[in-house]
Amino acid sequence: MWNVAIKEWKLLLKEKGVFFWLLALPIAFIVLFGSVFSGSGQSSLKISYIDLDQTAASRAFIQAVEDAGGYKMVEAGEADMEDKIQQIRDGKETVLLVIPRTFGQAIESAQGNQASVTVYRDAAAEATAGPLLAVLENLANGYRDNKMKSALQATGRSESWQEQVMAAPFRIDDRPENALTNNGITQYVPGYTVMFVFFVIISMIRRFIGDKESGMIARLRSTTMKPISYLAGMWLAYLAVVLIQCAVLLSFGHWVYGLRLGDVAAVAALVFALALCGTGLGLALAILVRSENQGIAFTQLLAMGGAALGGLWFPIDLMPEAMRTISHFTPQFWAQKAFQDIIVRGMHTADIWPSLIVLAAVALAGLAVAMLRFKSFLKTALG
Amino acid sequence: MKPAIEIHGLGKSYGGKTALRDISFTVPEGSCFGLLGPNGAGKSTTMKILSGLLEFDRGDVKVLGKDIRRFGERIKEKLGYVPQSITLYEKLSPLDNLTFFGEMYGVRGGELKKRIGEVLERVGLADRAKDPIASFSGGMKRRINIAAALLHKPKLIVMDEPTVGIDPQSRNHIFEMIRDLKREGVTVLYSTHYMEEVEALCDRLAIIDHGSVIAEGELNEVLDRFGSQAVYLELAEGERPPLLPGFGEPAAQGRGWLLETKAPLDALAGWANACKARSLPVKRLEVVRPSLETVFLALTGTSLRDS
Repeated sequence: MWNVAIKEWKLLLKEKGVFFWLLALPIAFIVLFGSVFSGSGQSSLKISYIDLDQTAASRAFIQAVEDAGGYKMVEAGEADMEDKIQQIRDGKETVLLVIPRTFGQAIESAQGNQASVTVYRDAAAEATAGPLLAVLENLANGYRDNKMKSALQATGRSESWQEQVMAAPFRIDDRPENALTNNGITQYVPGYTVMFVFFVIISMIRRFIGDKESGMIARLRSTTMKPISYLAGMWLAYLAVVLIQCAVLLSFGHWVYGLRLGDVAAVAALVFALALCGTGLGLALAILVRSENQGIAFTQLLAMGGAALGGLWFPIDLMPEAMRTISHFTPQFWAQKAFQDIIVRGMHTADIWPSLIVLAAVALAGLAVAMLRFKSFLKTALG
Repeated sequence: MKPAIEIHGLGKSYGGKTALRDISFTVPEGSCFGLLGPNGAGKSTTMKILSGLLEFDRGDVKVLGKDIRRFGERIKEKLGYVPQSITLYEKLSPLDNLTFFGEMYGVRGGELKKRIGEVLERVGLADRAKDPIASFSGGMKRRINIAAALLHKPKLIVMDEPTVGIDPQSRNHIFEMIRDLKREGVTVLYSTHYMEEVEALCDRLAIIDHGSVIAEGELNEVLDRFGSQAVYLELAEGERPPLLPGFGEPAAQGRGWLLETKAPLDALAGWANACKARSLPVKRLEVVRPSLETVFLALTGTSLRDS
């Protein structure tokens, strides 16, 4: 068994494609999505504005938008207005905030004149404009509260009465119970780690089919090797490969993007179960498929379909109810859920046992299929 | 001499197609036995059965004195199988490949290291031990392919067409290696469809066609029993040989003409007199030994290479 595994490791070290599929490509995906989402909640999205008023009130308003939304406000001149609006129509700009000349005067007016701001926006850029409109709405409420406060102060009634009147009918008591950190990195680093674990199946299929077609398996059967040693040696070799793959990818997320892994023992247990699962399925497919192309097609279906359904690309709660139910039938769902439980919710090994059991069960099922079909695989491997 | 291989009435079918009808032959210990036949005759199937890769439907097979059905695993300890295809990991070096195969045969540690050194010397590739196999010529790969079957010092080596598509240098190297093995008392079962290889290497042979043995015995015995004698005549270019009354039509062979006959001395004398009478310039005139090619032709009605 060990000599099969050692031979396999020597071969894998000489195959650049393995490094590409198992390490370089997932790292590229993590870097790509990590760069986009690593600062989630601290977006520095640029918002163009034109301040026609140029008063202290308008400048304070712009500052308030910047502070509240975390935007980088970029001022444009009045002369650029038509050009900017045209760019929005053409889809080249997403939003333009225009503060009219009467803004400061209206804000400070006691006559009840209502100030206004204009938002020009690309109707297709809801993701940018929507949050900006919400920020503006909040600011408008704030200004209204200040105005009401001034009006109440003018009545001369007690401060407690004023506070009672100003108090909202209800308040939101936001208490996140379990999230240590939750952002794009906590989604994508484990997500792409889980997804690319299943790509090891391609390497396994290649070797099994290659050994079968080259006559290597037939030749090995003429030696004193027990056939099961071949199966076990190959499993051991690729199990180690996946363990290293997961360690590299999670370490990359930790050191480069500051991903907090949580309970390392729980992560180790999960990675081991995931490696068993990926390689167990790999053994089954490598024994079952008739050609390399067929194997690659099945692997793509398993890896990509499982990734989409299992919530590896986006949070599972964004999916429709029916899809969320179906996702429970993919090993990727259980692996990602367990990673989220450990990393985001601070759970430990004892808390993720359902995921560990599911992954181990899939691994055993894969191994059982491989064992059952191994004899007929050997019979067809006559060289 | 004890037999290394005894096969009686061996039969094997694959999905309704008969691969072996009735194979019987005996290989004496320490000899080189040639298995000759065209592609699809049943040579590889016979060798795979002997190497424990295939089960068979009927017959008795004993290898090194043991029934292959009962002692298959024990036999493997003393048997080296060289498959027809080159089954090596091309990205690895001979050293890595031989380490892998040696361990598969149960040879380990210092003993394996020593054996690898010995077999690399034997195949003449000790200086290329660490180069990737992919950088080797076809002949060099074939030599390593053989070396991988020698690591556990087998008593019997089964070689399935080990010289297909190789250069003359490698072929000679392999021939020398087989002669050395024979001298050391190792039995070699050698399958080929090159007659000259059997003539050069083998003490005994069996000719297989359509899953049956059609001739078996010592090389000379088979040639005498099934081959016809002939006289060879080579004249100056463009000259045709004289026809001899009472003899058949001579057939073109190489640069000359071959006349098969049961009375070679009469034919020799007839051609000598006829050429002298007509002043034909004779380059060669001789009685030739029957060849396996003619034996095969006589037995099957087809030329071995054509079939």
